[in-house]
Amino acid sequence: MSTVSSPDEPIGFGEMDRDVGETLLEVDGLTKHFQSDSGLFASVSLDLDRFPPVTFGVDRVEAVDDVSFEVKRGETLGLVGESGCGKSTLGRTILRLLDPTDGTIRFKGDDLAELSGEELRQKRSEIQMIFQDPQSSLDPRMNVGQIIEEPMAAHDMFDDEGREARAKELLEKVGLDPRHYNRYPHAFSGGQRQRINLARALSVDPDFVVCDEPVSALDVSIQAQVLNTMEELQDEFGLTYLFIAHDLSVIRHISDRVAVMYLGHVVELAETTELFENPQHPYTEALLESIPVPDPRETGARGALDGEVPSPIDPPSGCRFRTRCPKLIAPDTDEWTDEEWVQTRAFMRAVKRRTFEPMSATELEAEFFGGRLPRGDAGDVVGDAIELLATDRERTDSTPADDDRHETVDWEAATDRLLTSFAEESICARERPAYEFEAAHGDRERFAACHLHRDGIQ
Amino acid sequence: MGYRTHWIHESTTNMRSEPLLRVENLKTQFFTETGTVRAVDGISFEVYEGEIVGLVGESGAGKSVASMSLLRLVENPGEIVGGTIEYRGQTIFDLEDGPDGELREHPEMLSESEMREQIRGREIAVIFQDPMESLNPVFTVGGQLREFIELNRKLGSEAAKAEAIEMLREVGIPDPEERYEEYPHQFSGGMRQRVLIAMALACEPNLIIADEPTTALDVTVEGQIIDLVDDLQERYDTSFLWVTHDMGVVAEICDRVNVMYLGEIVEQAPVDELFYETKHPYTTALLNSMPRPDRATELEPIEGVMPEAINPPSGCRFHPRCPDAREVCTRVHPETLDVDRADGYPHRAACLKHDVFDAGYEESPPLLDDRGPDESGAMTTGAETDGGSETDRPTSEAEAETDRESGEHRE
Repeated sequence: MSTVSSPDEPIGFGEMDRDVGETLLEVDGLTKHFQSDSGLFASVSLDLDRFPPVTFGVDRVEAVDDVSFEVKRGETLGLVGESGCGKSTLGRTILRLLDPTDGTIRFKGDDLAELSGEELRQKRSEIQMIFQDPQSSLDPRMNVGQIIEEPMAAHDMFDDEGREARAKELLEKVGLDPRHYNRYPHAFSGGQRQRINLARALSVDPDFVVCDEPVSALDVSIQAQVLNTMEELQDEFGLTYLFIAHDLSVIRHISDRVAVMYLGHVVELAETTELFENPQHPYTEALLESIPVPDPRETGARGALDGEVPSPIDPPSGCRFRTRCPKLIAPDTDEWTDEEWVQTRAFMRAVKRRTFEPMSATELEAEFFGGRLPRGDAGDVVGDAIELLATDRERTDSTPADDDRHETVDWEAATDRLLTSFAEESICARERPAYEFEAAHGDRERFAACHLHRDGIQ
Repeated sequence: MGYRTHWIHESTTNMRSEPLLRVENLKTQFFTETGTVRAVDGISFEVYEGEIVGLVGESGAGKSVASMSLLRLVENPGEIVGGTIEYRGQTIFDLEDGPDGELREHPEMLSESEMREQIRGREIAVIFQDPMESLNPVFTVGGQLREFIELNRKLGSEAAKAEAIEMLREVGIPDPEERYEEYPHQFSGGMRQRVLIAMALACEPNLIIADEPTTALDVTVEGQIIDLVDDLQERYDTSFLWVTHDMGVVAEICDRVNVMYLGEIVEQAPVDELFYETKHPYTTALLNSMPRPDRATELEPIEGVMPEAINPPSGCRFHPRCPDAREVCTRVHPETLDVDRADGYPHRAACLKHDVFDAGYEESPPLLDDRGPDESGAMTTGAETDGGSETDRPTSEAEAETDRESGEHRE
């Protein structure tokens, strides 16, 4: 085990002489897939509409897929995304609380993904985690002292007295009264419990702390107190944070650099100011536009993103955001004018989401294309789709003329026709984007997973 | 934002008309073993036709209890103990002196069955934070909506089904015929919240109480829901009482705002006034403690935590945490008075530093700053009266117990 330092020595120092700016953690191609179900018959699925009706095979949830980034010593990397995007899974996989499916996690030169057993256990004193729910992450039957001392005991640090002294000192550092050493978690409010979590994480003198939504459960005034304490502790102990949150305001406040996740991919990574002032991925843009600004004179309408996040069981190919992306690139199978593509894209999405009431072919053309269909092959495809959707379609088969209009409309075929001809042909569907380029502010390289950058433009 | 200009345009006529809802000096208390929790302690506000009124505060401020009191849905050990609630000339709650000197219910007050049959759902509907808890998981979404319409609008089953599908389409659920047959777990959080909005709108109520309706949602989904509410509000001209802790949402959607602290409304103003002509130090502190998405800021947290409503501080309830507090604030309890006017509406605040109070604030010595560092008194805790999802919960054993007892009635 690491050298046993004296409890009299002020904690936190001794870290400071190390180089700030060296790479502490480097994640490369990290992937974590889950089997979507387990159990005896989990791999059997039954669908009577299909032949054969019984199929075998387990669904795979691609929670984190080929993610790479690095964290420098002393910095805070914010990891932001909506629920289900895989940010917590990523945090846990880095800590090896989950076993990665693929990829490397280099921490101070060692690949954590390769370590196991005792080696891994020892490494854990250098990497700690703080969880979202301050209630359930503290054992209600242990007093504060025991909670803070437990990790030190697990790593054989100090003797009993030394641990107690350090626990009391840490309580003071995190803004609690050392006299509360013998109290139990229930006697503390949410904000205070999160401070106990901080003290526990810091007890083994870690270099790196993964904070998973540490302030989301707290009221705004308490949140500010805890955030400020976390910043003070970072300076004093020379900590490096991976700060996971869904709240962009909090992320902007605490982070040096920010990674934005969407459906298991990191879609953009840049320094905080750069990311917020000059977002280069359409998802980041949409996310930023959708934050409510606490200012009633900020009248800019909230740019709501259409549609919902697709399932990670069968994520879209290429860029995972493409199914909702307002900037989906036109397929190069046809010559498009901007207007034609914008209209076709809108029509395709409306059909896929079934957002309009069935109407006649002329009405559809007028509604979505201003009466003029795109030229060439593209126009033919659109024409076919309109034919499938129109309430006045000509029936060549023997379908009885049903008076229920909905019956005559073939949404599925129309959707299929449009998607295979257009969406699936776009570069966004065919290649996974990953581009690095110069930042406008600051001198560090930045990353955006968007094909709009394929020519180094924008 | 069309609705807001629309509202400003009509505000003069609104002012002359009677409010849709008038609440005066409402008091709701919980009688627990450890004492009386004054969850709502004398609040007054109005909601006019076609406006969205915010009720904002941290957990434990009493905003949920206040909104449930409006429908008389406060259950044991809680009780509305005073004040008046009037809805379009009907008395939802009022007390009068009885012959024996005891307070008794006013004879004009609506009976429980009248509340159930005429008010709840019909005139005043509610949307809760957690749509999963408001929908029954074992019935289809469409079935629940149909049943609700059948019961409340006395329609036949077929007509109600058609209406239910129409409502689902109205709130932006794609392919409503298909989704009508699905169960709540097959809907995403945002879609479930849309179903609840459909249910709330089904009887075309005049007022919808929305209790943190977007808090559990992701920010892009929240944006979609708020856009939907904007749109529906304009088309149906429904008024909203929007309960939230999020100043960003308030700025975005509300016309007028009430800020609550520890059972009281400490400031009440049109939204622009509230943000730009803030009159109460608590509102200022709340705004300064929020990180901003649009610029880098230093956070100025509010010192300490909200005390418990069981034994609120003397004088002004905010004085132990207030940066402007003076000696007089520990003694004199400020009423919520008009300190200004804007857009034809009063700007009310409960802070002695304003001249109208004439309490000698200027001459009073500032309080010595002997308050400890943030939160370090472990036993002072985030006091709770509205059993929110936040975790700043009461903490000693006895308090935790009372919270369990009363908590289930409050949510």
